[in-house]
Amino acid sequence: MLFRPCLSVFRFFRNFIASQLLIFLVLIAPGVSAGLTDQVAETVLPNGLKIILLENHKAPLVTFQVWYRVGSRNETPGKTGLSHMLEHMMFKGTKKVGPEMFSRIIQENGGNNNAFTSHDYTAYYENLRSDRVQVAMDLEADRMRNLVLRGTDFRTERMVVMEERRQRTEDNPQAYLWERMEAAAFKVSPYQWPIIGWMEDMERWTLSDLKSYYKTYYSPANAFLVVVGDFKKEELLPRIRKAFGSHPGGAKPDQRREQDSPRKEEQRIVVRKEAQLPFLVKGYHVPNLHDQDSYALEVTEAILSGGKSSRFYKNLVREKRLALEAAADNSLLSYDPRLFYISAVPMPGRDTAELERALDGEMARLRTEPVKEEELQRAKNQIEAAFVFGQDSLFSQAALLARHEIVGGWKKLDDYLPSIRNVTAGDIQRVAGRYLVRENSTVGILIPEGSKDSRGQGVKEKHEDGKMGR
Amino acid sequence: MHLSSCCSVFRFFLNFSSSQLRIFLVVAALLIPAAGAAAMPSVERTVLPNQLVLLVAEEHSLPFVTVQLLMNSGSRKDPPGEEGLARLAARGLLLGTSRRSATEINREIDFLGAFLTSYAGMDYATLNLKILKKDMDRGLDLFMDVLTQPVFPKDEIQREIDKTLAAIRSAEDQPDDVAEKAFHKELYLSPYGHPVEGTGESLPRISRDSVERFYRDNYHPNNAILVVVGDITPAEVKTKILPRLEAWKAGTVLTLRFKAAFAGGPKTVKINRPITQASILIGHEGVSRSNPDYYALSVMNYILGGGGFAARLFEEIRNKRGLAYSVASYFDPRKYTGSFQIALQTRNASAGKAMKTALKEMRKIRRKFVKRKELEGAKKYLIGSFPMRMDNQEKLARFLGQVEYYGLGLDYPDKYPIFVGAVTREDVLRVARKYLHPKKCITVIVANLKEAGLEEKDGS
Repeated sequence: MLFRPCLSVFRFFRNFIASQLLIFLVLIAPGVSAGLTDQVAETVLPNGLKIILLENHKAPLVTFQVWYRVGSRNETPGKTGLSHMLEHMMFKGTKKVGPEMFSRIIQENGGNNNAFTSHDYTAYYENLRSDRVQVAMDLEADRMRNLVLRGTDFRTERMVVMEERRQRTEDNPQAYLWERMEAAAFKVSPYQWPIIGWMEDMERWTLSDLKSYYKTYYSPANAFLVVVGDFKKEELLPRIRKAFGSHPGGAKPDQRREQDSPRKEEQRIVVRKEAQLPFLVKGYHVPNLHDQDSYALEVTEAILSGGKSSRFYKNLVREKRLALEAAADNSLLSYDPRLFYISAVPMPGRDTAELERALDGEMARLRTEPVKEEELQRAKNQIEAAFVFGQDSLFSQAALLARHEIVGGWKKLDDYLPSIRNVTAGDIQRVAGRYLVRENSTVGILIPEGSKDSRGQGVKEKHEDGKMGR
Repeated sequence: MHLSSCCSVFRFFLNFSSSQLRIFLVVAALLIPAAGAAAMPSVERTVLPNQLVLLVAEEHSLPFVTVQLLMNSGSRKDPPGEEGLARLAARGLLLGTSRRSATEINREIDFLGAFLTSYAGMDYATLNLKILKKDMDRGLDLFMDVLTQPVFPKDEIQREIDKTLAAIRSAEDQPDDVAEKAFHKELYLSPYGHPVEGTGESLPRISRDSVERFYRDNYHPNNAILVVVGDITPAEVKTKILPRLEAWKAGTVLTLRFKAAFAGGPKTVKINRPITQASILIGHEGVSRSNPDYYALSVMNYILGGGGFAARLFEEIRNKRGLAYSVASYFDPRKYTGSFQIALQTRNASAGKAMKTALKEMRKIRRKFVKRKELEGAKKYLIGSFPMRMDNQEKLARFLGQVEYYGLGLDYPDKYPIFVGAVTREDVLRVARKYLHPKKCITVIVANLKEAGLEEKDGS
């Protein structure tokens, strides 16, 4: 349930602090234990706005979040990245609140605020003292309905987003490869394009695109609030009702998108780009939480890369000294089924092909021999402990409820730990045999320009050079 | 999920938090002083017979415990030529003890679903444990074992060195990292100048014996602070924590004299890379954490470039001109004098324009009083956001460790709003004039120099 793994996360985190961001959600650990949803209260206003409240009185603080059911999956080819651009524009003011005043007001109230966009959602949050929650509520209610989109702001902010793309992707060889791999993994599904969008599409965006996008997706019927922290439900709810209740509901947009049919053969992508070390990433098509197999894949992820006794670390990093690092990452909380990722950086001097063979060997082992009882228990213990640790943050609690709400309703969270506990060694063997197989995979390989790495010479499926755009 | 081996988000979080204490993050206290203190659970401070300082904060809302040991043994203690040694000592703790191999340590900690990590920064290193209450005994045994009985096996140290060398190489692909290293190297004429992880030249020279020597010279209770936060009672502190700590004997700590010294500007360092976006650092000598102007500087820097969306640099460079996604200024106040820097990224072609704008803002805040509204906004944020500095176990442990390390006093949450509240426009102007030196900046530009119009003109 983490998102984009790897190397560039540190940079993302820094950006997270400095500004608005497109986040591959940095949830440290899932929060909210089983049974905690008992304390969650849900109300739906007549205009369709859902409100999810969870009291937590540990500190005099609150996180106030508005989640819109719109992300890059709702975009169309040629105009990718609009969701994230609109997220930026949401800070440009309303009739009542001047441009860039939103954050200033929150900060003057001692609060932090930001927003993030994913494939499936766009979310806005304010973390602040609980006695200031009204400030956040009024500002969010205002921009849900009354955003003013100006041409001058649009043109300047588009430059900012282009800078963001340069920073995240263009000059980051691993992120660049990752994007290319995903583009190859899907033919029909909107998960084929990056959340931030293609650079050339940014040129095509217009102000009226944004206006109609805002109109279609930013309505009470397509949004929900999550508030977690130090408040009393019966006291907070009427105030929320007052702030948001008079907005017209709007229509529920059609959320169905075409899906790819099952894969029959492996796809390979090679990117040659100036870089210090090669990089390898694979994506296997897997189900999301609507299929019980996704929980077995969660446990599989932990077996492969949860901690330093995990298979990748123990075997590839330590024993064989093949990898500088290696990670696995499941897509449990994805609206439509997405990918199970594995990625690795070879140690200098080690061959990428050799590393890939070793990774494939680990995947084969999952299929051919059952996981030992102790190893299975270790993975489950890690997941359960992380669940407890995750409750320590109001923000993570709220985000976890929200992410379940996006995919299948926040009550799905109740299934998480029981489903993990039920996973057997046989389940892991079965899902590995069903999903984590070559025919179901897309492979991306980064070959540093000028490198002697032999890999890729035999690859003929699809060559890509280092240019941006598609 | 969060548990990936070596590039997990979790680690990056820890890394970030235990590294620089940048002013944007050093945010504290409330307008009403009492509210700030209320945000912090009460803290018990004890100095043990072995001179270890122990801080305990009870917080029982969740069944787990966070332990952080702060060891006064950061990279500023690296011997010349052996840069990276302090970090290897910190990492080496987890690579084997007289009772457990590295593999056994890894297996045990993972089986408990716990986190046991160690990091080194410029000033200090930390050993961190996060563990469920039910496993606390086993966790504490492990923690004390790695802390007091490490053996630094030769092959494990070599493996760590090889991995570090590879990571250093990999970091060459991150323009901001390249810029930061070049900036530190150019600016500092002190042990703060080298990367914590060492360099391609220094690491191959380090032997496991040096690592062990560094450990013996530094890892003593009389050189450490231990913070315990979470689901623990005074009785458990007495029966579980104290006996373990008391068995740790005091020793002689190698003391080094640290002389803060800086290269003067103006000077420009240009590094050519085939990238689309220039990564730029502009800065100079900063202050130490004990500088009495720290609070006035916090306010001044918030207005200049530390205040996120509300800062002048953000407004001028990003909002008005669309030149950057991230732009900010930082003071990096350390035990000894640290740095001041403005960091921004902009496409190659606008590098000159962005730098000019940044310098203009530096000059402006030295020339004119800040607006009353700006002053009030900064103070309200700094004071009002204070409780969020310690709203979970990890943050609280880090906060308490720093309060002790920098000698701020446990009443710091009460004092902070008073210190910040007292800052005037005159103070802001005075510290801007005293600590910002736009004419003496060291500038590092990592870019496609040709596209940036910066090709080969030598010097600044």
